[in-house]
Amino acid sequence: MSRKFKILIVTILVLSLLTTLFAGCSSKNSSETQQKETQQAAQNTNSSDPENKHFYSEKPLEFTMLYSEHPAYPYKEDWLLWKAIKDMTNVSLKLTVVPMSDYDQKRSLLISTGEAPEIIPKTYPGQEVPFIPSGAILPISDYIDEMPNFSRQIKEWNLQDDLNTLKQKDGKFYVLPGLHEIFVQDYSLAIRLDIFEKNNIPVPNSWDELYDALKKLKEIYPNIIPFSDRWQGKSLLNVAAPTFGVQAGWGAGNGMYYYRDKDEFGFYPITDDYKNMLSYFNKLVKEGLMDPESFTQNDDQAIQKFVTGKSFVISTNSQELVNLRNKMKETMGEDAFKVVKILPPAGPKGAVVAGGRLENGIMISKNALKNPNFHEMLKFIDWLWYSEEGQTLTKWGVEGVTYKKVDGKFELMPDVTAGFLGLNPNGTKDLRKDFGFGNGVFILMYGGPKELAYSYMSDEDRKFAEELDKTRELLPPAPPVLFDEVQREQANMISQPLMDYVEQMTLKFILGQASLEKDWDNYVQQCRAKGADKLTQLTNEVYKSTKDMLK
Amino acid sequence: MKVSRGEKIFNIMNIIIMIIVIIATLYPFLYLTAISFSSEKYVYAGEITLLPKGFTMKTYQVLLSEKLFWISYKNTIVYTLVGTFISLFLSTLLAYPLSKKHLKGRGIILGLVVFTMFFSGGLIPTYLLVNALGMRNTIWAVVIPGAINTYYVIVMKTFFEGLPVELEEAAAIDGMNTYGILLHIVLPLSMPMMAAMTLFYAVGMWNNWFGPFIYLDKRELFPAALYLRNIIAGAQQTAVSSGSNIGDLEQIEATVKSAAMILTALPIIMVYPFLQKYFVKGVMIGSLKG
Repeated sequence: MSRKFKILIVTILVLSLLTTLFAGCSSKNSSETQQKETQQAAQNTNSSDPENKHFYSEKPLEFTMLYSEHPAYPYKEDWLLWKAIKDMTNVSLKLTVVPMSDYDQKRSLLISTGEAPEIIPKTYPGQEVPFIPSGAILPISDYIDEMPNFSRQIKEWNLQDDLNTLKQKDGKFYVLPGLHEIFVQDYSLAIRLDIFEKNNIPVPNSWDELYDALKKLKEIYPNIIPFSDRWQGKSLLNVAAPTFGVQAGWGAGNGMYYYRDKDEFGFYPITDDYKNMLSYFNKLVKEGLMDPESFTQNDDQAIQKFVTGKSFVISTNSQELVNLRNKMKETMGEDAFKVVKILPPAGPKGAVVAGGRLENGIMISKNALKNPNFHEMLKFIDWLWYSEEGQTLTKWGVEGVTYKKVDGKFELMPDVTAGFLGLNPNGTKDLRKDFGFGNGVFILMYGGPKELAYSYMSDEDRKFAEELDKTRELLPPAPPVLFDEVQREQANMISQPLMDYVEQMTLKFILGQASLEKDWDNYVQQCRAKGADKLTQLTNEVYKSTKDMLK
Repeated sequence: MKVSRGEKIFNIMNIIIMIIVIIATLYPFLYLTAISFSSEKYVYAGEITLLPKGFTMKTYQVLLSEKLFWISYKNTIVYTLVGTFISLFLSTLLAYPLSKKHLKGRGIILGLVVFTMFFSGGLIPTYLLVNALGMRNTIWAVVIPGAINTYYVIVMKTFFEGLPVELEEAAAIDGMNTYGILLHIVLPLSMPMMAAMTLFYAVGMWNNWFGPFIYLDKRELFPAALYLRNIIAGAQQTAVSSGSNIGDLEQIEATVKSAAMILTALPIIMVYPFLQKYFVKGVMIGSLKG
């Protein structure tokens, strides 16, 4: 047996050696010569339309693209969308259809095997990082001067700082992000306006006013804990943190906070600002104004309390607001309640909100360089995802077929319905399912030019967004820290256990299991012992040595 | 026959435990069925337990009028039939010779076969191979790469080894060649095992979503399992995070999910009773005398 076993092992070894040997010799170099030839051939196309407002190719073109199939509107070959794109640009898209459930996995596989389609949309900033070292995706920043719409929007909408956050160690960026002209903070608090009005409590505009309001409610309804939160309080902390000058909850990050006045990073969880925020929420819990279960219960439990009148305040977003109302119609009756979303309350650092205006966008695989029409492809992408004409098409469809314009406003044709926007519920044909417009691969719900973004909102959402735009200030994004791979690994090694500890202690402080007077110093010590200072130092070093690359 | 007290107690306990197991197995199906026939508002309120509330067939009407659903369904059936046949064919042809002790190099082949149970080429090389063979976007990419399940082959081999050599020898003396022996003697005697293998392969093929997901890029080739997975996991994946696009969060109703699950699981469940009759003991009794 042992001899047979040896033979077996030797056979395997020989076989595997042979295969690696052959795999090494595959051909790869044919494309590079082509690339140079096509380089000059470009750029002079469409000289009559330097802003690329209407892209049209004289000869029919075909580009390959990865397509994420949303189960709510399964892909159809005969969608008007494809025909409309073809009619307007003479471009047809050859798709690799991937179920949305596992889109990320297939994207990795295709890129790693070199089989990726040319255009790879729906990539969130950060997801491109693993593909950069192998050179499988193009540094799109090298080509943005060929994309007039994109460049113009970056300039006009003042997005250069946001765009800088995508830069990598080499000073380039690899994903073409989706852009928002207006910032939409969708998450905030929902309150029972009818209860507030009945008891003459004003709608709170700051955290202190919220405290007063909750206190009054508690006096009037002693048996009720007026605030019971969902999402484990992570959305609440995320909304509250910027107004206290820190980060927390969903936005906790790796513990680094950029202090603009000093132009350096600091470890925020040990600052007085953070302590202030904790003591505020600790006060709410201690005085019985906030449900201690807010940070542990699952969403259904929190919702149950709210819709059955056992609590009056809860975190929400626009879609969840509608869901809450629908459920309350069942539990309370049509007119027995009034629920509204309030603006994110202001705090000690003012009425500010944090967040980015970049969203998922497009990677271009290096296979695209082999396409003789590479430069047209860039123009096409620029037109479809960024031009007013392209976005109008993908959001609303074809004028006269799916929508008409009445006084400058978009209106669906009477037989077309768009359930996801709550429009024309009685139409027979669905804007998404039957025509392919309003498709998440091509649009951002509230992205693009202001007017197009507003056109997708209900009146209520629009009022909220406009109000937010007027009364809240959007904090500029922190500059990126250009870690290389080793440094990033080092930083993660410190920050992960450190932030776990911070999160754990944050809850304890809020719930009163740890005392802000007695245990705070010990907590700060612990954070230091777990490498908070080292992380700060590393981050600042890297930041200082690379920040010139961002200019 | 007298039954002792101990035996009685054992029987009662046995029955009770079996009933519990049956309930635990059946409940998910009943629950899903109930949800799929209920109106949405009761599902939202979490009021459904065993029986549907606000009975409606609407969900099924919607789902069954969906052309894509039927296309995926047809694909699943084709993949399962072809795939199961290929799998059985190849597995038998591998397992039968390996069961013969006098086969030259048997140890090495067996070693290589077992080797694949513990080591594989990995996803990317496999993908490149399938792609290079031109099987991508064809039925073959679904049915060929996983056609032989090593574990099943070993089970089959062991079963074949257990068959009496004398039967085959007798057939050989009567002038039958190897293939004849396999087809007319060995396989008929192996019906229970073959039935089990058919079932295993068929169920595996029916539920297989990963292979099709990896190798198929065209919507019209997707099997039902992939369709189902996207319905169930698609919108959930994106979950809540402040970064994800609100438009992607649109959920599929629980009723539709349940109905799709029921419709996809039903046919393969119905295969069981038909194969059951082959799981009979004692096919071998009396086949050998002396």
